[in-house]
Amino acid sequence: MQFLYGLVKELRELSFEMWAEKYRPKFLSQMVNQKDIVERLASFVKSRNVPHCIFAGPPGTGKTTAALSLAHDLYGDTYREHLMELNASDERGINVVRETVKTFARVRTLGEIPFKILILDEADNMTGDAQQALRRTMERYTETCRFILIANYSGKIIEPIQSRCAPFRFTYLPREEQNKHLQHIAQNENVNLLNDGLDAIYDVCGGDLRKAINSLQAAASLGKPVSSETVYSVVGRANPADVHAMIKIAMGGNFVEARKRLREMIMKYGVAGSDIIKQIHIELFRLDDIPENWKVKLAEIVGEVDFRLVEGADEEVQLSALLARITEAGYELKGG
Amino acid sequence: MHAAWTVKHKPKSLAEVVGNREAISSFEKWLKSWEKGIPKQRAAFLHGPPGIGKTVTVEALANDLGMELIEKNASDYRTEEKIRQFAGLASQYNGFFGRKRVILLDELDGVHGTADRGAIPAITKIILNTRYPIVLTANDFWNKKFVAFRDKKKYLIIEFKKPPAREVLKHLKRICAKDDISAEEEALNFIAQRSEGDVRSAVNDLQALAQGKRRLTYDDVSWLAYRDRKDVIFTVLRQVLYGKNCNAAKQAVDVADVNLDMLFEWIYENAPHHFNVPSELANAMESLATADLYRGRIRQTQNWKLMRYVIDFMTAGVAMARDKSKPSGWIPFRFPQRIRTLSASRVERGKKREIGRKIKLRMHVSVVAAQKDVLPYLRVIFESNTEMAAGLAQWFNFDEEEVVYIAGGKRQANKILKLVN
Repeated sequence: MQFLYGLVKELRELSFEMWAEKYRPKFLSQMVNQKDIVERLASFVKSRNVPHCIFAGPPGTGKTTAALSLAHDLYGDTYREHLMELNASDERGINVVRETVKTFARVRTLGEIPFKILILDEADNMTGDAQQALRRTMERYTETCRFILIANYSGKIIEPIQSRCAPFRFTYLPREEQNKHLQHIAQNENVNLLNDGLDAIYDVCGGDLRKAINSLQAAASLGKPVSSETVYSVVGRANPADVHAMIKIAMGGNFVEARKRLREMIMKYGVAGSDIIKQIHIELFRLDDIPENWKVKLAEIVGEVDFRLVEGADEEVQLSALLARITEAGYELKGG
Repeated sequence: MHAAWTVKHKPKSLAEVVGNREAISSFEKWLKSWEKGIPKQRAAFLHGPPGIGKTVTVEALANDLGMELIEKNASDYRTEEKIRQFAGLASQYNGFFGRKRVILLDELDGVHGTADRGAIPAITKIILNTRYPIVLTANDFWNKKFVAFRDKKKYLIIEFKKPPAREVLKHLKRICAKDDISAEEEALNFIAQRSEGDVRSAVNDLQALAQGKRRLTYDDVSWLAYRDRKDVIFTVLRQVLYGKNCNAAKQAVDVADVNLDMLFEWIYENAPHHFNVPSELANAMESLATADLYRGRIRQTQNWKLMRYVIDFMTAGVAMARDKSKPSGWIPFRFPQRIRTLSASRVERGKKREIGRKIKLRMHVSVVAAQKDVLPYLRVIFESNTEMAAGLAQWFNFDEEEVVYIAGGKRQANKILKLVN
């Protein structure tokens, strides 16, 4: 009996999922934030009519969840049959619009609601051509299909599409709301979440709920109470783009090692050059040991590199030229 | 700091010379015959492709027989005058202590037919009357300028052939044993095969790859497959990194029959190891960044005329970054790590993408975002909590290889997989 109990207990514990998914709201009424948006979406459900929409806002603020919940509320448990979810980052070309989107959009759905919903995630990553094609598709098949475009920046979506859509602007979660949500998860999962751990998560994730929940789960996986210390160690391990360390190594005179770090960030962990340059810019003025006159000199190079990356230059080559200058600054500082 | 291994591990005795046993023994017989008096053939002409041991044979045998070796190569004797001065005297007069003597005129290919007019006739004249054995070497015996030496009565003509790969392999093994390097047979065999009998280049390769290491694996050497002729790229690198003036550095590109992007990678990889003054290094890297900027502009505008500026900055710009510094010692050139990483990680990236795809199926994110925003946290979980990892592995439907990848190693992965099954 004891053995059986142990087995059952073990099986239960093994049924893990990613908490970000497990605790994703299923209905609009479960959404913890974006009150105004949720209210308006609920009114669409009530009137059983949905316009084309754009959900814009930073990551982890509930855009995809809102779209899925809306569909769930609208169609009930069989909502999957009336819904297509595409991610423009993965299928960004014009052919996807011509084929996949069109095929889905033009076929009428069976049921009391006469239209389907197509969620196009990360729509700001679509090419201009694809957006133009999408615009016509949206127009032609409005009766049979409604589009919800999800984007970080609505500015990257062409004007004609924007004018056909009801805009919704999502914002970062306030600290209290995020904390409430995390505490709820911690309680359910038997995680000892300390107050300073909670603060640390907000400091690191700044209202990006998905990132916050992932951080919580990874911190909890260490099997210790979740304190600020565990949170920072997890975030440090999960974010290899330790720009600070890289600059320190260059300052210390080891350019070759600094370049190796840079290479790892770009090639192994896939960190974008633009993210690295942003970090370098922040670190530059934060570091006490860079001579003041060098900071301005280096900032000029940082700006130039930033511009060159936009022009299509090689990330590592450009950034390592900057690292070489930082190495020189460190050398001069030591009185070389 | 380091001596070239071709020098350090040069055979001291004839027995250590790689391959060409037949050629070597007829040469040995001829040289020994001088002990009984001056033979009819007063000179031996050793010919064959570079790097297969012509010079080394002469040096090793002279050493074995206790003979004094008087050696000059093409750069030393250009004119009739010079040759008479040097070889003429050496061929007639006794050395100190009355030691037996052999005169080696090496690399005759370097003697130009026109610029060094008179050099060849001067040599034949000296041979006619020499009292000491004279040895000539060249790559291309059948070149017109050597017609005078085709007379078999006067000259012993010995052809050296490329030694087979197994002979080269033996030599490489000997070097590794001496230097206490444990090398995979496969790795050495790869180098030997690549060299196509050019022992010198094989040893150079070995040094570039193995120096300072205790172990040499096949992975360490397989990148050799990328390059055409290493001496070409190495020569170009030397010209760029140590060029005295702009034109010398720029000409490197004309000489080299290499892909410009590939050459860029070579320079970009190696420059930091050859500039030891930070300000000079910074200037060199800046120059490379400028070259790269023009590459970007070419890609975007398809205006290939801009290529000349790419070349300016990646060659002359780098060369002129050097003010006065000069690294001491021999620094090996390294194969561009980026290209190595790229090909090595192609498989890895495929795996990562597949993991991203599986995350996407579960978590409503793009494949790219999955790799960037979710995978890092999964790594932490898989490294620290086997039970949670096992549960997630099932939930995401990761296969064994993917678990190994995320867990960062087989040991941790096995613990996780045991819980899954």
